[in-house]
Parts: sequence; structure tokens; C-alpha cells
Amino acid sequence: MQPATDDAPLDGNAAGGLLSELFAFDVTAATLICVGCDATGEIAETKVYGGTMGALLRCAHCDAVLIRLTRTPRGFWLDMRGTRSFFVQPPD
Amino acid sequence: MPRRLQWQVAEVSDLIEETPRVRSLALTLPDWPGHKPGQHVDVRLTGEDGYRAQRSYSIASAPEANKVMLTVERIEDGEVSPYLSIEVRKGDQFELRGPIGGHFVWTAAQGGPLFLVAGGSGIAPLMAMLRHRAAVRSKVPATLIYSSRSFEDIIYRAELDRLAAADDGLKIVHTLTRRQPAGWQGGTRRIDRAMLEKEDFSPAAKPRVFICGPTQLVETAAQILLDLGHDRTLIKTERFGPTGG
Repeated sequence: MQPATDDAPLDGNAAGGLLSELFAFDVTAATLICVGCDATGEIAETKVYGGTMGALLRCAHCDAVLIRLTRTPRGFWLDMRGTRSFFVQPPD
Repeated sequence: MPRRLQWQVAEVSDLIEETPRVRSLALTLPDWPGHKPGQHVDVRLTGEDGYRAQRSYSIASAPEANKVMLTVERIEDGEVSPYLSIEVRKGDQFELRGPIGGHFVWTAAQGGPLFLVAGGSGIAPLMAMLRHRAAVRSKVPATLIYSSRSFEDIIYRAELDRLAAADDGLKIVHTLTRRQPAGWQGGTRRIDRAMLEKEDFSPAAKPRVFICGPTQLVETAAQILLDLGHDRTLIKTERFGPTGG
């Protein structure tokens, strides 16, 4: 895997490390539902823009912003207004 | 409950020149919990001025191997790739965290058939799957379709030949998109519908599909397999940015 850039999105696999700073276990296989188009998919299947300081996850179907994760010097901002539902299955 | 990921210091224990543009790094890690084939790590480099650059790299080695191996392609204007693919020496240290990812993952216990489609250095996580499959002597039928620019650019070429020669259940199909050596018997064009249709397990066999490579290859191959009737939930993809770094 290689990096995402602003004009060349990667997929949600690339956001796994950043998300792991926030969630207790890996969420790249978590399922979410897009507010914009009702599509269901895994985080790994989203389009990811951004880098180490934050990430923007867009719906692979309608391009709506699902999740915006921003790292600040003191913590994280997690904006999930584009995600209607979020299902996580803990690992075995 | 799994522990949280921590950054740790990896030490380069060996370097393997895979192709003129690609090298593999064997790493020694103080605290490695083991990984699943298909997972990746984050690598972080810190300059003397404190500037940090971070990239993700797939793990190319099998969980059964005693070393964690990354395979890095040289990308001239990248921030991390020039260091890892050119400058790095045995004994060098850098920060790493992992393993990461639960989506693009296959273990022999999940069964098959296994249908792998790779472009360029996208072979790395799929190689971890093939190495794992061989290490546990899995009988799951597997096919790899692998697109490279030229014969010299085929990563792990000798090892892939050995794996396929030793295993009736493994089929490897190469295609070379830019240049082919004299007498080349493999494919000579980008991965397309005819190629996937010819080599593919039928959708009825419910193969587990893993596609990794440049964005365009991944999107094209995934769409073709959907059109051919494969179950969307069995197609897992991992895309590289077109520039890398």
C-alpha cells in the first residue's frame, strides 16, 4: 500500500492505522451506512483523502463525506454526520 | 481484548533486491504479535528537524515466517519510498506500527478457492497469502493473475515459479504490459475481461477474490468480476495511489 494524496484517493485500508488510535480494535472491516445514498459498505471500501494528520472518508458510491477525522495537538475530532449507522464486530 | 497499536522501532536485518526498482526489507521487531496475510503496517520516518512522514506498506511475509518483510517500490518523488528503497542499510532503524487491517485478509482456514489479481507492487499482500498457503500446506485451489510492466519488473519471479511448480493447486498467470522478452508465452496486455473470464474460477465456485494494485487496475478488475456475476461481498480490493511515495 502507498499513500493517499488530495487528488488521488486511496481506500479505507489506508486509514486503519489512524483509526486505530481512536478505536479499541481494527475498524477497517466495520460496516457503515451512508446518510447520503443509503449504501452499505466497509470502511476499507471507502475513498480516503488525507494523510497522517487526519483523514476524510468518502462514500465509494455517492462521494458524500462519511467520516472526517482530524488530529490536533491535544486529541482528535471525529465528525461522523455522514454515517447513519456503524457496525463493528470485535475480532476473535 | 486486543491491545492498542503502539509505535515500535524496527531494525532492518536484511535487504533483498527483487527487481531494479523494488527491494524487500526483512525487519526485526521487539514486540510483534503476529499478523494475518493481507495486513499492513504504518512506517514513520522522522527527520533531524523533527519533520515526520508516514506511509503504509503491506506485509509480504507469511505469518509463519520468522521475519516481517516489507516490499517497497522506488518512487522518485515520494517522501518515504526513496529512503526505504535506496538509502536504507542493514542495521538501520525506523518507527513502525502494526499489524493493521481486517478487511483485506485471508487465512487458509477461511477456505477458497482463492483468486488473486495483482498489478506491480500490489503483489505484496497477495504474496503473503500465497506464502501462508504454502507454509500451512493448504489444498485450497488458488490462481494468481499478475500484471507487470516487463519481465524484469516481475517481483518474486523465481519464488512464484517455485511455488507453482511444486503445487498442482496453484496456477500463476503473468501478463507483461509494456515489453515482453522473445518467445514470451504469457499475456501481453493489461488485465481485461477476456483474461479474467479465461482464468477465473466460475462465480458458482464462490472464489474469494483479492485485487491489489494501481487504482485503475483494481477498479477495472473488480467491475469485470462483478459483471461476470461474482458476489460483491467476496471481492476485496486494496488500491495504491497512482503516485505513491
